[in-house]
Formats: sequence, C-alpha cells, structure tokens
Amino acid sequence: MIGRWTIPLIVALAAACGVPFVAGDYLIGVALSLAMWIALTESWILLSGLTGYVSLGHVVFYGLGAYVGILLWGEVGGVLAVGGAGLASGVFALAVGYPALRVRGPYFVMLTFGLAEFCKYIVIDVEAGLGQFSRLLLGGPSVLQLYYVVLGLAAAATALTFFVARSRLGYALRAIRENEEAAETVGVPVAFCKLAAFALSAIIPGMVGALMVARSSYFEPSQVFDPIVSFTIVTMAIIGGSDDARGPFLGAALLVLLSEILWARAPQVYMILLGILLIAFVLFAPGGITGRLLSRPVKVKP
Amino acid sequence: MQAILSWQLLFAALVTGSIYVLVALGLNLVYGTMRLLNVAHGDMVMIGAYVSYWLFTLSGLSPLLSMLIAAALTAALGALAYVGLFRRLLANRQLVQRLEGNSLLLFFGISIVIQNLASLAFDSTPRAYQYLDRVVAIGNLGITENRLAALIVTGILSLVIVLFLRFHIYGLAIKALMQHREAATVVGIDVERVQILSFCIGFGVAGLAGALLSMMEQITPFMGFPFTIAAFVVVILGGLGNLLGGMAAGLLLGILETYGVALTSPSLRSVLIYGVFILVLLVRPQGLLGGKRVVR
Repeated sequence: MIGRWTIPLIVALAAACGVPFVAGDYLIGVALSLAMWIALTESWILLSGLTGYVSLGHVVFYGLGAYVGILLWGEVGGVLAVGGAGLASGVFALAVGYPALRVRGPYFVMLTFGLAEFCKYIVIDVEAGLGQFSRLLLGGPSVLQLYYVVLGLAAAATALTFFVARSRLGYALRAIRENEEAAETVGVPVAFCKLAAFALSAIIPGMVGALMVARSSYFEPSQVFDPIVSFTIVTMAIIGGSDDARGPFLGAALLVLLSEILWARAPQVYMILLGILLIAFVLFAPGGITGRLLSRPVKVKP
Repeated sequence: MQAILSWQLLFAALVTGSIYVLVALGLNLVYGTMRLLNVAHGDMVMIGAYVSYWLFTLSGLSPLLSMLIAAALTAALGALAYVGLFRRLLANRQLVQRLEGNSLLLFFGISIVIQNLASLAFDSTPRAYQYLDRVVAIGNLGITENRLAALIVTGILSLVIVLFLRFHIYGLAIKALMQHREAATVVGIDVERVQILSFCIGFGVAGLAGALLSMMEQITPFMGFPFTIAAFVVVILGGLGNLLGGMAAGLLLGILETYGVALTSPSLRSVLIYGVFILVLLVRPQGLLGGKRVVR
C-alpha cells in the first residue's frame, strides 16, 4: 500500500509546489482552498473515519483557531499566532473530548454539532459584549506565503492520518469503530485512544483557521464557526471514502471544483448539490469513491 | 422581579412549550417506530410556517385554516421521504447495521436541500404577518389572541393524538412497533403501512406547529434547526415513546427557555438552548435508548 500510493502523493505534492510558478492569482487561490479542505478533511478522518465517532462540529476547532489567531496575530506575530491557535484547539479538544467521547454513535454526532453551535453563540456574545462585531487583520502574509504554509499543513495532515492509520493507535481506533466493548475487553485503552485521536484531529484545523483569517484579513464569529464548514468536511470525506488518507483528495477536489463554479453565483444551488451528493453517497456508495472504485470488492459481512 | 413573577411570562412559556411538545411528538414517532434520527424535523416546521405565510399574504386565508393545508403538505413530504429514501435504507442490510448514524446523515442532507431550496425560493429575509394580534385581557393577564389560539390548538391536538395512540387500532399498532418490532410483525401488524403513517403524522404535526408559529414569530428558511435541537432535548428528557413524558418535557423546556431569557438577555437564547442540549446528552450519554423504555 505504501509503495502504491507514496509516489503519486509525492508527485502531487511536487506539482502543488509548482502551481504558483505557472498559475495566476486566481488559480493560486483555488489551490489554497483545495489545500485547506484537504487539511481539514484529513484531520477529520483521523478521528471520525477511523473511530466511527462522526464529528459534525469540526468547524469548532477551525473557528477557535481563527479566534485565537486574530487575538494573537497583532500581539505576537503570525508564526506564534498560528502555533498558539493549534495549541489552543488541541487543549480545547482534550478538555471537551473527555466528557464528550463517552457519548456514543449518533448522539456523539449531534453533540458535536450542538457543541460547535454553542461555541459559536458564546463567541458571538463575547464579541458583542466587547463591542466587537468583526475584527480586521492588517498586514497579513501574501496569498503565496499562505499557500505554501497551508499546503505544508495539508501534507502534514495527510501524513499524520496515513501513519496513524497504520500504527498501533490506528488499529486500536479501528477496533473501537467495529466494536468498542470487544476492543476494551481485549485490552485496548479505549478512552485514551479516543481522546488522543480527538486532540490530534483538532490541532491542524486550529492552525488552518488562524491562517484563513489571515487570508480574508477579516474575522466574524458567525462566519468562522459556520456549520457549513463541518458539513462540507463530512461530505468531502464521505464522497471520497473515509477509511484512509486517500479519500479526501477525491472528495475535496470534486467539491472545490463545484464550489468554484457555483459558490459565487448560486451558493444555494451549491449547497443543494452538496446535500444531494451526501444523500446519494450514503445510500448508494457508503464506502465513497475509494471504497467503490479503487478497492477490492467490498467484503460482505455475514 | 415583578416581571419575572408575572402571569404574562408563564403564559409565554406555556405557548413556547406547547409548540415544542408538538414538534417533539413527530420526532418521537419516527425514532420510536424505525430508529431514524430525523434532524430535518425542524425544517417541516419551517415549511408549514411558509405555507401559512404565503396563503395569508396572498389570499388572506386564516392560518387557523391553512394549518391544515400545511399539515397535509408536510405529511405528503413525509410519505415521499419514506417511500423515496428511507424504505431503501431500511431494506439495505449493510446500511441497517448503522441505521441511526446513516439516517442522521441522510436527514442532514435532506435538511440542507430543503433549507437552501427555501432560501432560493423565498430569499432569506425574515418575514412576518399580523393576524389576530389584538390583546385580550383575562383578569390582569393581557395576551394576544393568536397566542391564545395557538395554545388552544396545540392542547386539542395533543389530546387527540394521545387518544389516537391509546384507542385507535393504528395508534396501538404504532405503539406496538415502538415496543417490540418483531413481536409486532408476528401479531400481523402491517409494518410498512404503520411506518408510512408514523412519517405522515410526525411530519404533518410539525408542519402544523410551523403554521401556528408563523402567526407569532418571524420566519426564515433557516429557522428549523433550533426546533430540531429543542425536539431532541424534549425526546431525550421525556423518554422514547413516552408521549406524556414528552409533553411534560416540552413544557419544561419552554419554561426553561422563557425564564432563562427573561433573567439574562435575548441574545443568550441560542446559548441556552444549545447549552441544555449539550448538558442533556452529556448526562445521558446512552442516548434515547438508555434506561427503561416506557411506552404509554
């Protein structure tokens, strides 16, 4: 598996590094979006794809990172702000994950969604209380610089998911997905593994959030905590196939393309298509594109 | 302090709570009979609200009549969703293994589609109309007629549904399906028909609740989700299949929300609802199925 997929991935990464030399600003922007979604979706897969604890609130880490980023950027500079955003998201995940990961299955899904919305309204209220309805970030980095940093994060997220999936922790997480009681019985430290996956999946989205605020040079709570982000992540992962690190590339590429064509002109049409794709893939191809097209025939469970 | 203790506030809490009771009822039916987690439930409230809004603004039809049209339309949508999507989901042996999760994703997709179709059709500006907004005085309690009407309608409808489930043959069949699926099949219940019926009643009642709501509050294409969340809180608190428990929980949530907002500030309304939701899930991590199942 490593041999089969490492080379195409490295080629893709090299090609991605070369994009700014041949493409104009518009295409660099598109490539930046693509890298951002890959980073977010890979992080999501580390938790939800491997453990089956589907998070419908992953935007909370992105939003939190954006908030920490905008608060720190002017004070300590970009590098520390992005690092701080990642750290804050990771610590937040540890704190929240401890109680939240006791909640199983679909209730966890709803809990994550509720948690993200809860945090959104908290930040909105805090900002309103401070008399701030939006914040500006001036003197941020250029799109080109951002592109390389986010590309690096996308590569890091992919590598992280790739290696975790093949590590002891990865097997433990898959065991939890298939049967948590059985995993616990054979000695998998279930609570620890889940918490570790949750924290690992939070750090990169936090950093991406801070960077994306720098890109738009504008912070508004309801925008960075927009549930559409979570929804897009889940749809990308499900379209692509969520059991390993390859899926997000296909899902993200498809949806970024769709969004470039439609988002500016008809955002509702884009969202409707997203919903239809989600329904279609859940019903007809639950393994996603990778599960359906690229893998060996699906084993039918007895 | 005076305002907090007033009858006014209690009445407002009852109205909010009674709407929650109706919305949660449908969620309870669909989950109870099929284990489907309908996160698009609140969008039926939104559709019902728009039906009444348009019928009133275009033809002056009273929402108290158009609520029946709203209910019929959303019930038809329920039947459509069942026949088109969920029958397939329930029949697929692989997908049924993670039925709750898959149904949640499906309904979530449906919810996104419905919300954006509505926002495409009606744009997303909040809308409202005035109907029965005269204030009547009962003792020293001043209330608008539309709220009074809404409370009366929800009261009657809740009673009808309780009686239906207790005495009507199909009501009993629904309860049987909630209690024990296999046993229900064995005694000859037409599961397919009862499931469609659950979808129709559940969606229809939510649509009707939306029609009532449109008399009292502004409506937007994205108004549904808070109702879905509220309905989940009510069902979890009240207990699966426990309709009387659900009614108590609905009123409790109405009181909690109304007094919570009155004591703090209106901007904390969402924080409050989501806070209660999170708390309920954390305290009962086993979800709806945990503990004793009482079907009343």
